[in-house]
Amino acid sequence: MTTASTTLYGLASAKDLFALTKPRVMSLVIFTALCGLLAAPGTIHPILGFTAILAISLGAGASAALNQWYESDIDAVMKRTSQRPLPAGRMDRETALHFGIGLSVFSVVLMGVAVNWFSAAFLAFSIFFYAVVYTIWLKRSTPQNIVIGGAAGAFPPAIGWAAVTGDVTLMPVLLFAIIFFWTPPHFWALALFVNSDYSKAGVPMMPVVAGRQSTRKQIFAYSLVLAVVAIAPFALGFTGLVYGISAIVLSVVFSGLSLKVALSETFEPEDMDAEKRLFKFSILYLFALFAAVVADRLVMA
Amino acid sequence: MSEIDTSQEPMSPEEQKIFQARQKQRAVIMAGLLLFLCVLFYLITIVKIGAST
Repeated sequence: MTTASTTLYGLASAKDLFALTKPRVMSLVIFTALCGLLAAPGTIHPILGFTAILAISLGAGASAALNQWYESDIDAVMKRTSQRPLPAGRMDRETALHFGIGLSVFSVVLMGVAVNWFSAAFLAFSIFFYAVVYTIWLKRSTPQNIVIGGAAGAFPPAIGWAAVTGDVTLMPVLLFAIIFFWTPPHFWALALFVNSDYSKAGVPMMPVVAGRQSTRKQIFAYSLVLAVVAIAPFALGFTGLVYGISAIVLSVVFSGLSLKVALSETFEPEDMDAEKRLFKFSILYLFALFAAVVADRLVMA
Repeated sequence: MSEIDTSQEPMSPEEQKIFQARQKQRAVIMAGLLLFLCVLFYLITIVKIGAST
């Protein structure tokens, strides 16, 4: 049974519905999915390629809407998220839920009808993983939330790849692993200097539960695993020198910045330059690495 | 089945104006999206037919 509300609160603006999809996160999803699609062996018609990227983006937007529907209580407590449509009182929860579910179904059907049902099933699983496994189940119950949640953000390049080939081989698994192992250092660096917000919201983020020093050491450990995973496509012969050199240089810088974080003992967020530098570089790292995958494929082709 | 939510107080004239502006904006965007999807599905169909022949 639906309720036709006659209040301003009941009719969300288009701008707020758009904000519900976390457009900034979506830009990274579009980029990595596009890279997966372009790096895959084989070809796809540009119209179908465009549709695949559109479906992946809509799926990511749907996950974000469902995430905000479930987390409005946490978002209301944290300064960074308190102005989102739900905690700011510009939209009711039911609208967000309907929007998220509707967009999920539409994105999966679009992918299945236009591209292939393997990538559609993959997309459906990624939405389920982010909205249910990460948001509802793990985020509030384990400090490893970001590690497992990272898997949800790591699906787009593999789905983009599957859109072209209709299957998943070792290379898209490595692309998945790159984002998976990149996520903890990226988010924990952020969590270190916005620690107070997470503790206020009761989210068991690693710095809140294990302390800052342990988190810093784990950031460095993950950066080393990330370096191995990032260089693996070159070492295994899946890519050429363009990617190989880029991966080695970027990973050395990333590990160096992570080492500085591991050696830092600052407790004041305003003094956490090493953490802020690592957080900023981590974004550049991922964009540059995935751009290198595509550039390498173009050069090899 | 749907019903009108009457639990809230009626809107003031200003709120009504904002409400109608939002309705109009959403309708225009929805029309644009539907048009875009019509064109997209038309093109997908053409590509699929081309591929199968």
